[in-house]
Amino acid sequence: MKTGDLIELLANDAAATPPGVAWRRLGNALAAGGALTLLLVILWLRCQPLLMVAVQPWFWMKAAYTGLLTVSGVILVRRLATPGAPVRALPMWAAMIFLAMVVLGAGQLLAATPGERLGLWLGQTWRVCSPLILLLSVPIYVGLIVAVRSLAPIHPIRTGAAVGFAAGALAATLYGLHCPEQGAAFVVTWYSLGIAAATTAGGLAGRRLLRW
Amino acid sequence: MRGQYGQFDQVETELRGWMICSLDGDAGAHRQLLGALSGYLRGYFVRRLGRDAADLEDLVQETLLAIHLKRASYDRTLPFTPWAYAVARYKLVDHFRRSRRRVHVPLEDAGILIGVDNPEEGAVRTDLERLLSQLPERQRTLIEEVKIKGFSVEEAAQKRGVTAVSARVMLHRSLQWLSQAVRDEDR
Repeated sequence: MKTGDLIELLANDAAATPPGVAWRRLGNALAAGGALTLLLVILWLRCQPLLMVAVQPWFWMKAAYTGLLTVSGVILVRRLATPGAPVRALPMWAAMIFLAMVVLGAGQLLAATPGERLGLWLGQTWRVCSPLILLLSVPIYVGLIVAVRSLAPIHPIRTGAAVGFAAGALAATLYGLHCPEQGAAFVVTWYSLGIAAATTAGGLAGRRLLRW
Repeated sequence: MRGQYGQFDQVETELRGWMICSLDGDAGAHRQLLGALSGYLRGYFVRRLGRDAADLEDLVQETLLAIHLKRASYDRTLPFTPWAYAVARYKLVDHFRRSRRRVHVPLEDAGILIGVDNPEEGAVRTDLERLLSQLPERQRTLIEEVKIKGFSVEEAAQKRGVTAVSARVMLHRSLQWLSQAVRDEDR
């Protein structure tokens, strides 16, 4: 086929592509994957009625941390799915959010009596927290990967890791509805570990899933 | 074949203008954009592969197909040339990877893409042509009519007695399939 003929074919396939279409695909993926994960939290893990959760300040402490990580992760995914777009600043944002939480957690530990500290850090659920976040991130990861495959990620491993990070952070936010823990040190350790696991798994899978 | 050095801004403005019109559904702008890009892509790939590379034109076509199919990833608030350059470099790296050659492709300033315009179409191996022949008959006929006989999709659809919408979908799916098939080929 001549290149001119190919261009003619492509010109006949030039459907309008509105400006927000990439964001819409990512948004739909987050909504669909997030809804499935939310159902798992409510029906499988169980949580208190949402209104009761919503009056607990520690829920919002957790949600602020993982919510901000989700936002930086999703913006990073969008950038990585756009060839040539700048991405440097976003991992820095995530690192700063993490550091802020480390400071808060360390402050809480220092303010507690030595006898309370281990309990504050391990809580009642440290064994299950990270694995559950990793598990809950799967529906969101799958949804986002489908959306990102329709875009143009030129670094499959990095992009897969960013998708895993965003999925892990959103899964952690929803897991916060179920999780009874109240300490920042707990959250910055075990939540972050779950998100880190999702990031690693996401990068490994992205290598295969994101070629085009 | 040369002479665009120092005119980065002008070329960028022109390409980006076409891209935005094309995203708004302007087929004419899309044709102009891809036409101009094919010259620049050829110029860039000649630098990296050499003038006589057998797969030069195939790579140009593959990249045009990718640029077309991945249009939704372009962010209109960003410059166009870095986007197109990154796609071209990705396709070049992928090309070396698939042909199992270890070649380092330097990450250059995006302006390198529009540094040399080479509109002379090279000889094509038969990659796309052969893959086209593997398509189901209805899709192949549609493509032949648009490509060779110069019908618009609407006209071709009318002739075949299908709606324009389903002909459009069929064309788009065929192009997606082609792009995938080129990639999956072991060469």
